[in-house]
Amino acid sequence: MTKDILLDLLSSWEETYKKGQLTLWIFLALKDGQKYVDEIKEFIETKSQNTISCEEQSLYRNLRKYEHIDVVSFENKKGNKGPDRKYYFLTKMGNELLEIFIERNIKLFFSNEINNLLKK
Amino acid sequence: MKTLITPNLIKFTLATLVLTVMFRIGLSTSITNQILVAIIMSAVVYAILMWLNGYYFGKKEHEYLPIYDIGFRFHLATFFGHNIISIFWFLFGFESKYENIKTVYLTALIWSVFLITHLILYLFARKTSIKNLNKDDLFE
Repeated sequence: MTKDILLDLLSSWEETYKKGQLTLWIFLALKDGQKYVDEIKEFIETKSQNTISCEEQSLYRNLRKYEHIDVVSFENKKGNKGPDRKYYFLTKMGNELLEIFIERNIKLFFSNEINNLLKK
Repeated sequence: MKTLITPNLIKFTLATLVLTVMFRIGLSTSITNQILVAIIMSAVVYAILMWLNGYYFGKKEHEYLPIYDIGFRFHLATFFGHNIISIFWFLFGFESKYENIKTVYLTALIWSVFLITHLILYLFARKTSIKNLNKDDLFE
């Protein structure tokens, strides 16, 4: 019974926790290098150990928004077969945005105090 | 400006022009023949089709890029589309003998009050946006 509640609580917490993470994962995928949508999707699912899943449509929608606000851009390159593919990359502003975001929100998890707490 | 005049808005405007011409044909014909039911039906069918027009292209627009304009661009396009067609309808003499162009001007005048109110609300909404996208909806 307790185990069921624990799993429910975990699932509820994770759902909320993951909601704000897609942007970070997309930006990390692009920091790793230029990618087209399938590669971004694969990067996110592999590197997050399948804890984050994303639909292609959702990725396209987000990329269009980021492109609109000038943090992401793309260039067309030839695919293996078929039409050209859009290879997305972070712009200068996108890189700066990610850098500041990581500095303010991610790096604190690497402080000794927090690191020790996580290891406890 | 290029961001605000999107392909979906252009398609919506073209559909509005076509629907308004159809509405004008229906209305003038009904008034000429003095068929009250047909007059009411013209207006009701026009309203339903315009709603579907807005729903279809508005949804597509939001799915493509959610420009945060609280519907103002589509309202403005409807205002111009409807009134331009209506004025030209009279200029070309297609109206019924019982119709008066003053009705078109009066409708546009009353409508413009709602349009200006919508514009003010849109300008307020723009304050919470970055490059016409809602700040709260930018990152997921």
